[in-house]
Amino acid sequence: MLVRNTRATARLLCAAVLLLLAPAVFAGGKIAIKVGRIITQAGPDILNGVIVIEDGRIKSVGPDSKAPWDVEVLDHPELVAFPGYVEAHSTRGMDRPNENIDVAPFLDVRDSIDPISFFFEDCLRSGILTVNVQQGPPAAFTGGCVIGAQGMVVKPFGLTIEQMLVKNGAGIKISAAPKAGKSRATQAQTLRKAFTDLRLYLDKLVQDKKDGKDYARREALYQGRDLEKEENKKGRAMEGSSTWKVKGLETVPRGEIDDKQEPLLRLVEGKIPAFVYCDAAASVPLALGVARENGFLAGTTLVLDGDAWKAADLIAEAGVPVVLGPNLMHVERDPVTGKEIETFVPGVFKKKNVRFALQSLNPQAQSLWYQAAVCVGYGLDRKEALDAVTRTPADILHLGDRVGSLEPGKDGNVLLLSGDPLSITTTVQYVVLDGNLVYDRSKDVRVKHLLEGVEQENAVPGGADAQAKPHDDEKAGEGEKAEKKKDAGEKKDGEKEGKKDGQAQR
Amino acid sequence: MIHVLLAALVPSVLGPLPGSFPRPAHEVVAVKAGTIYAVENDLVVEGGGTILIEDGRITAVGKDVEIPPGARVVDYGADAVIAPGLVAADTTFGAPRPSERTADLSVMAIEGFDPYASYVFALQEGVTCAYLPPARGRLIAGQGAVVKLAGRSDANGSGRVVSESAMIHGAVSAEARNTPGYWQPPIPATVDVGMGVEQPQLPRTLMGAIVALEELVALAQGGEDHGEYGPGVGARLRELIAAKRPWRMAADTEPEIRALLGFFGEKGLPLVIDGMGGTGSASGTALAGEIAKAGVAVIVDAPINPNAPGRDFGKDRDAAWPRFDVAAGLERAHVRFAITPANHVPASELRFAAEIASRGGLDRKAALRAITLSPAEILGVAARVGSLAPGKDADLAIFNGHPLEPGTSTLATWVDGEVAYKRSETAAVVLAVDELFLGDGDVLRPGEVLLENGRIRDVGQRVGRPAGAEIVRGRAAMPGMIDALGHLGLEGSGRVPATRFALGRIVEPGDLADKRVAKAGVTTVVLSPRGANRSGAPMTAYKPAGSNVEKMLVRDPTALRFQWTERNRLESGKSVREVLAKAAEYSKKWDEYEKKMATWTPPKEGEAGKGEEKKAGESKEGSEESKGEKKESGAEAQSEGDKKEGADEKKGEKKEKKEEGDKKKSGKKGEKEAVKTITGAWEAEIAIPPFEKVRLRLYVLEEDGKLSGSLRCSSLSDDLIQVAGERKEKKVTLSGEGTRGKASIEAEEKDGKLEGKLVQGAASVEIKLAQTSTEYEIAKRPERRKPKEEKEKKEIKGQPRAPGLDPELEPLRRAIKGEGAIVVGVDREDEILDCVEAFEGAKIKPILLGAKDAWKVADKIRGRVAGVLLSQPVVWTEPKTGAQRRNRYAEIAEAGIPIAFHSDAEEGAAELPAIAAYAVSQGMSPEAALRALTSDAAHMFAIDNRVGLIAPGLDADVALLDGSPLDLSTRVIRVWVAGEEVR
Repeated sequence: MLVRNTRATARLLCAAVLLLLAPAVFAGGKIAIKVGRIITQAGPDILNGVIVIEDGRIKSVGPDSKAPWDVEVLDHPELVAFPGYVEAHSTRGMDRPNENIDVAPFLDVRDSIDPISFFFEDCLRSGILTVNVQQGPPAAFTGGCVIGAQGMVVKPFGLTIEQMLVKNGAGIKISAAPKAGKSRATQAQTLRKAFTDLRLYLDKLVQDKKDGKDYARREALYQGRDLEKEENKKGRAMEGSSTWKVKGLETVPRGEIDDKQEPLLRLVEGKIPAFVYCDAAASVPLALGVARENGFLAGTTLVLDGDAWKAADLIAEAGVPVVLGPNLMHVERDPVTGKEIETFVPGVFKKKNVRFALQSLNPQAQSLWYQAAVCVGYGLDRKEALDAVTRTPADILHLGDRVGSLEPGKDGNVLLLSGDPLSITTTVQYVVLDGNLVYDRSKDVRVKHLLEGVEQENAVPGGADAQAKPHDDEKAGEGEKAEKKKDAGEKKDGEKEGKKDGQAQR
Repeated sequence: MIHVLLAALVPSVLGPLPGSFPRPAHEVVAVKAGTIYAVENDLVVEGGGTILIEDGRITAVGKDVEIPPGARVVDYGADAVIAPGLVAADTTFGAPRPSERTADLSVMAIEGFDPYASYVFALQEGVTCAYLPPARGRLIAGQGAVVKLAGRSDANGSGRVVSESAMIHGAVSAEARNTPGYWQPPIPATVDVGMGVEQPQLPRTLMGAIVALEELVALAQGGEDHGEYGPGVGARLRELIAAKRPWRMAADTEPEIRALLGFFGEKGLPLVIDGMGGTGSASGTALAGEIAKAGVAVIVDAPINPNAPGRDFGKDRDAAWPRFDVAAGLERAHVRFAITPANHVPASELRFAAEIASRGGLDRKAALRAITLSPAEILGVAARVGSLAPGKDADLAIFNGHPLEPGTSTLATWVDGEVAYKRSETAAVVLAVDELFLGDGDVLRPGEVLLENGRIRDVGQRVGRPAGAEIVRGRAAMPGMIDALGHLGLEGSGRVPATRFALGRIVEPGDLADKRVAKAGVTTVVLSPRGANRSGAPMTAYKPAGSNVEKMLVRDPTALRFQWTERNRLESGKSVREVLAKAAEYSKKWDEYEKKMATWTPPKEGEAGKGEEKKAGESKEGSEESKGEKKESGAEAQSEGDKKEGADEKKGEKKEKKEEGDKKKSGKKGEKEAVKTITGAWEAEIAIPPFEKVRLRLYVLEEDGKLSGSLRCSSLSDDLIQVAGERKEKKVTLSGEGTRGKASIEAEEKDGKLEGKLVQGAASVEIKLAQTSTEYEIAKRPERRKPKEEKEKKEIKGQPRAPGLDPELEPLRRAIKGEGAIVVGVDREDEILDCVEAFEGAKIKPILLGAKDAWKVADKIRGRVAGVLLSQPVVWTEPKTGAQRRNRYAEIAEAGIPIAFHSDAEEGAAELPAIAAYAVSQGMSPEAALRALTSDAAHMFAIDNRVGLIAPGLDADVALLDGSPLDLSTRVIRVWVAGEEVR
């Protein structure tokens, strides 16, 4: 009951926020941004620079030259411009993170993404402008998966999936960590079996074709599939770098291949990347082994957790990039002495020359900027740390030409920060997404409520409780109302202190 | 700082990680121990054996193995036992879970192997190699694997994999009969397709199991596949059967085993029976003959989980209670079998599982084979592991006794020629000897003593053996001996220090001569100046070989030394009587004070807490305040606790400093290799007029050009001189203040020697110091602390005031209370009697020193003295009364007066055992002599709460001998002081 109420509130609030911002959206995504400092992430910083965005793309970035006469100018010499952070892997933003079926590559997270989830709002607030939403987090939370759905890259703004879309088919999620109820051995068995089954299926298709059976063809026509669709002109055979071939597959039209198997076939062909989750070092050999055997190693990114850094040698040898788990400090105990042993995970991968991107725990608490700041605190270069939350994840998502830095030709996504991106006192003041101003902190209702307190009369968010008991309010007599006001007054005082905290936390 | 942190963190210290074994190219290692159980061909090497290891493989095993030059030798000692690394034929590693299918050969146990995990608990029990089951609870659960639990490996741990597919793992026992039906929901499940139905899976009974096996084998042989076992099972099974992979089938009861024997006999497939020893096997032994006939191997489960609460087996007449004789029955029938812990019991209980088979009559030889070579053979990996033979992997388990003797624990475990586990350095020591001389005359035959944390923890005919304890066997052991009056540490000084001088300040750890004395078995020396003075010369009992100052001092001061006999006999005893009178008065004051304190009730309100505090504390500090001038020395002599605390602090500091120093040193090395650090010990001989030639010793620590340390030379100072200085290139300057004024050294480094001048006052001599050690192992001694500023103390009205604390009289007061000792030099019989009487008046039992005529008045002084330290000649020839030879030691001892031996020398203390042996050879009872060397000496100096006996709670000062203590042929083999072996 309570949950539903919260959701209802969220919907209301989101609508409110978006309505508030609506007037600020500039037509045609045309805007000039003048700031005191531009951190381009593609060369030296520019002091007193101007970013011109036209048609949603960056047209120019440079020192204080003339802005075109016909665009709105966002003039904030006190602010710092920074490219949006890129979240290389996140399992949030969906109505539910997992399917119960072991092997389900035919699923797509676009059917699960909830555009008005708090998650996206928080992303916007903390400057994460590109999110790769993937299925199947650790088994401990949701049961895990073996082969999960296809992920999707979105921007955290828009009321529909189509508005949010950055890139479809961002990658198939695979888990090398045992899903609930499985051991490592049975997880491995199920994972390998998925590919064996694919081969058996393709073999059978070819055999059926030879035998003149047309079941698959009829099924495809019945479902209205295009037998000779897009890529099929080149040939019907399996393509790409696959290590195994099915003899005679060229005789089968692409469209005849069942939707249930097709995504895996694309994976094997190298047409879609894979994000393989490893909960520990022990699952790294399986992850790399399966990718290598089936020829999609080049398109593989490992999503690491736990002590997976111990397999850094293997990962370096395989040459795959990694997305590091939210806990940058791995802590374990020596089994004999009980002493704690701490390891700074990004340091390990830096030493082994493995490309790594950072991952936030959630958009508020250990957001990407914070992760990068922690890395700097433990000795990483500032550039390396910032790259790990901008350029590297952009490259991993094959979006290096669109996001990750402020360069002409890239998407018009700019953060206007109140200070240095790695400073704890810095806040995101404005967000420009595709050339549109989509976030203005001074108009952020939730921040306002957080910092200044919620006025009881208007009973808004955080206010799930307030919503849950409207009847109580109605029943309440006059005297009680007066008391409530008094409470509200007290609360304000309390929250003034909270304000300081809030600022400190950003 | 951050980079330092990073550097420290990145190479993890958690166990041997894959890929982290930098191995020197072609290294030869020789591992030695007293006994080797090779298991291969039942070879047992006794009386010292060697195993040669080359590149991780064994090249030779035997008694007379020639060790090639350049080989690294690792000797575990004569008491150690080497066995092959144990092979666990069953484990729970990898947390196996069954798949959905009843027969699923595609579940590979090796996929569940975590090469990055720590298997230290198994390695700690000597287990080096383990079978991983794919799962349990299925007719065919998958393929099992064999791995090593540590060792050299490539990046993905495949170097640790011994066999990826060792056996087909399955079961026909009850565990396999709960397989749920198989159901795969169609995707998408539409109205047309439906949700599908659950497909039941065999077996539910033993019959069903055999039927299913029949069907599977038929599938493998090309029978028609209806798909009920899933796709690909037949093909896979065909491959495995072609590869002659053994079938490891769990079976508990007699029918199950007979059914298996029948089925596999008929099909001609290799079978290994798994389980059998489980609670269900009431008749396993009866089957042994049939099993032997079929040539089938068995993996026997030990029917017990030792590390868990008891289980209920069932109260019926035919309930299956655990049987321990299964293994013995198989052995009698000549069946090849391995022993493992029961299902779900960790592999670290492997040795216990084998031990408990002895309850059923299995001998140790067979039991050892059942956890080494037999499992290796059954698992098909005997070419690499399971026994010690040339060509096999160097997997060793080194124990402190027979691996299957209860109480034995692992000293080290080797995998692939590398140490994978080593017991901690600070582990306990158990001395197991034929004769344990306790020191008070009792002897335990045999006897054992357990040393832990510097103390004796247990004594008995058989003591506990904490895990990892070093077990030392030998002929005899006795408490460390006590030199009742020696000068070790005075370095030739003849000066008699003031009564309040803390002799502990000249004690210096790490001295070579001190160690040699300790190695002779003399672990405690009651240090005395060479003479007495009027108010009593301080004496201190200390342990020359202790590793630091705190451990060295037994009690400071231990005693006061007086001289009764004067050259002018009329003066004899006069001064002593005066001191005694003062002491009596002083003591009386304290007694009165204590009596008052005992009856005084503090005022209740407000002040109650403080009052109590004072009462409890006897408030020594309070008394110090009242007698301001004596404060400092009083605190020094008495507040031992404070001192120790100070020392601890210092030690910590020093450690840090040293670490810093090390870092700096290493940093420096890179820049200037040419100039060596001068940290370490240096020695020279110098003669400063008017003194004779004496030894000068300098301990110095160099930190970044700054020097600090201590200098000892009896000609320069009576105690250690704390020196400081600096080093510039090769020039070294040092100076410090001693009791005879400032001394300084200016020297230059030349060919590893320091040559230069030593100046003290007007004297200046040439000095040439030679380095004897490069280690600065001296614990910085406690600074002479000024007593803490007293917190403003409110006098409570009516509280009795404490008398002043007099450090010169305090030892006497302690002696009166029986907590200290007074040594008094006296020789003629009349003087002895006077002396004893005078001390009796002061309620002190003195220790008579010299006491030439004591034998004449033995009856009169018995019980009135603490003991007698007779002058040196044991056998006395009295020319005046004719050539009369008397063994005075024996006479006094026989008269019932405690005696002790003393050396009256410095390193000559090492001869103490010989002096005692001589006394025995001249008629003294060995028992009395032994007591005199140990407990009697400790008792008379009231240090018997620390040393002198082998008893629980006392300091772990023990000497290991190769014979009876006072036999002339007996040698001291090893010595422990405060639990640490003197090396």
